[in-house]
Amino acid sequence: MLREGEPVGVLTLTRTEMRPFTDKQIELVSTFADQAAIAIENVRLFDEVQKRTDDLSESLQQQTATAEVLKVISRSAFDLQTVLDTLTESAAQLCEAEMASITRQEGDAFYYATTYGLPPDLVDFLKSTPHRPGRRSVIGRTLTEARAVMVADVLDDPDYGMMEMQQKAGFRTALGVPLLRDGRPVGVITLLRRQVRPFSQREIELVTTFADQAGIAIENVRLFDEIQEKSRQLEEASAHKSRFLANMSHELRTPLNAILGYTELIQDAVYGEPPEKMMAVLDRISRNGKHLLGLINDVLDLSKIEAGQLVLSLDAYSLKDVVHGVYSAIEPLAANKSLTFKVEMAPDLPSGRGDERRLTQVLLNLVGNAIKFTDQGEVSIKASAENGDYTLAVRDTGPGISEADQSKLFQEFQQADNSITKAKGGTGLGLAISKRIIEMHGGKIWVESRPGQGSTFSLKLPIQVEQARQP
Amino acid sequence: MTKRILVVEDQEDNRQILRDLLASADYEMDEAENGQEALDAVARQRPDLILMDIQLPIMDGYEATRRIKANPDFKAIPIIVVTSYALSGDEGKAREAGCDAYVTKPYSPRALLAKIREYMPK
Repeated sequence: MLREGEPVGVLTLTRTEMRPFTDKQIELVSTFADQAAIAIENVRLFDEVQKRTDDLSESLQQQTATAEVLKVISRSAFDLQTVLDTLTESAAQLCEAEMASITRQEGDAFYYATTYGLPPDLVDFLKSTPHRPGRRSVIGRTLTEARAVMVADVLDDPDYGMMEMQQKAGFRTALGVPLLRDGRPVGVITLLRRQVRPFSQREIELVTTFADQAGIAIENVRLFDEIQEKSRQLEEASAHKSRFLANMSHELRTPLNAILGYTELIQDAVYGEPPEKMMAVLDRISRNGKHLLGLINDVLDLSKIEAGQLVLSLDAYSLKDVVHGVYSAIEPLAANKSLTFKVEMAPDLPSGRGDERRLTQVLLNLVGNAIKFTDQGEVSIKASAENGDYTLAVRDTGPGISEADQSKLFQEFQQADNSITKAKGGTGLGLAISKRIIEMHGGKIWVESRPGQGSTFSLKLPIQVEQARQP
Repeated sequence: MTKRILVVEDQEDNRQILRDLLASADYEMDEAENGQEALDAVARQRPDLILMDIQLPIMDGYEATRRIKANPDFKAIPIIVVTSYALSGDEGKAREAGCDAYVTKPYSPRALLAKIREYMPK
C-alpha cells in the first residue's frame, strides 16, 4: 500500500494449497491495496483536520478567556486582590490545572497572595511560609532562573523538596512563571496538576501573559500607593505650613500691637502732652510699625492664597466709596510729595457685588505704588463701567517700566529690577496678591508702560461677582 | 455710674495698654488671663462689656464667649472679640460663638475705644 511511492502497509493473501495467483488476480488485489491506502490516508487527513480544528477552537477559547480576564482586571485596577484572584483562577481553568497560586514579594521574602484549588488547611500554612530562591521548590526555582520553570513530575525530581505539601495536595506536574519588573521577579504564578501531564508551550505562553498582567497590576498598585503616600505627605507639609504661618502671624502681631498701641496712646496724650519734637519721632515709629504690619499681612495673604484658604466675602459694595476711601487714605502721601492726585469717575457707576475689603486692598496697592515711584507730576484714578464690567486705571508720571520687567511684575517676590525699586523697597508681593484677588473675582489686571513715559495699571472687573474662582 | 469692662487677655503688655486706654476714657477695668478666669470674673461681678482675646491658655476665647452667651443672665453683655488670628474663617467662628463685634490685632486704641463706645449699653 503506497502513499506517494512510500509503503504505508502491506496487503497479504495466502493459500493452503500451492496455486499461484494469476496476473489478473494480482492486478485486482493491487487495486484493493490502492483503495485501502486511500482509505487510510483519508482517515489520517480527517484526524489531522480534526486536530487543527480542535487547536484553533482551543486557541480561540483561550483568547476569549484572556480577553474576559483582562476586562475584569481593568475594571478593578486598584483592587489588587481581585486581580490576582481572577488571574489565578482563570490560569488554572484555562490550563486544566487543579491547583494554582500567586506568590508575591513582601519585604525580603515571597509569600502566597492568593491560591486556587488547594486544601484550606494547607492554605493557612502556606500563607505564613516565606519562599526564597532555591532548588527545593518550584517557586524557588522560578525566582532563581527568572523565567518559566516546569517540573514534569515532582516525584521524579531529586532536587524537589516540598514533600509534605506534595503529599497533602497530591500534585505531580508543576509549572512556575515569574512576575517580572525590570527583569527581576517580584512574584510567581504556579500551576499544579494531579496527574503527570506536562504543560504545552501554548499553555506556558498563556500563563506568561497572565503573569505579565499580574506584574503590571502589582506595579500599578505600588505606584498608586506611592503617589497616595506622597500626596499625603504633601498635604501634611502644607498643613504644617499653614499652621506655622497662622502661629507666626499671631506671634508677630502680638508685639506689634504693643508697639503701635503705646505709640498711639502717647500721641493721644494719654500720658500727658508730648513735646513737639517727640511727635515727629512717634510718627516715624507708627509709620514703620504699620509698614512692618503691611509686610506681615502680605506674606500671610499670599500663603493663604496658595493654600486655597483665601475666601472672598462677596457682598454689595459701592465702587465710588472704595475709590473715595483709597483717595482719602493716600491723599496725604501725595500731598507730602507735592504730586497732583486726581480722581475721574463716571457719574452713574452702578453698585457692584464683590469683596469690598479685598478690592480696596488692590486699589490701595496700585495707587500706593504709583505714589511711591512717582517723584513729580501726577497720579490719577479713573473708574468707569460698561458691558457688565468696571474698568479702573491708575496712571502715573513715574519712571516707567521696561517691557522685560513688565512680564515679571505680577509674579511673587519680583519687582522691576533696577536702582529705583532698590531705593524704594517693598516685598514685591503686592501686585502678585492683587492679581490673584482680581482673578478670583473673574477679572484681569495689566500694565501699560514705557520707560520715561509713566505707567498705567488697569483692571477689568465684573460688576456682579456671584461666585469666587479658585486661583 | 462708671462703666465696667472685663478684659480677657493673657499678655501683660497688652493688658497694660488697655489699662491706660480705659482709664483715660474713665472706664473701670476687670482682668482675666484665660477663658476660665473670664467665666469666674463674670459670675463675681457682672461687667458692662467684655473684650475677649481668642488665643488663651486653659480655655480659649471662643469657648468662653459661647458659655457666657449661653447663660441667660449674661447673654446681654456685649462681647468684642480681639484676635491676632488671621486665617480665614476666624471672624465666622467668632460670630458663631456669639460675639457682638470683631477686632483684629494689632488694633488702634483709638479705633478700639470707638468700638467700645458703640457697643457699650447706655
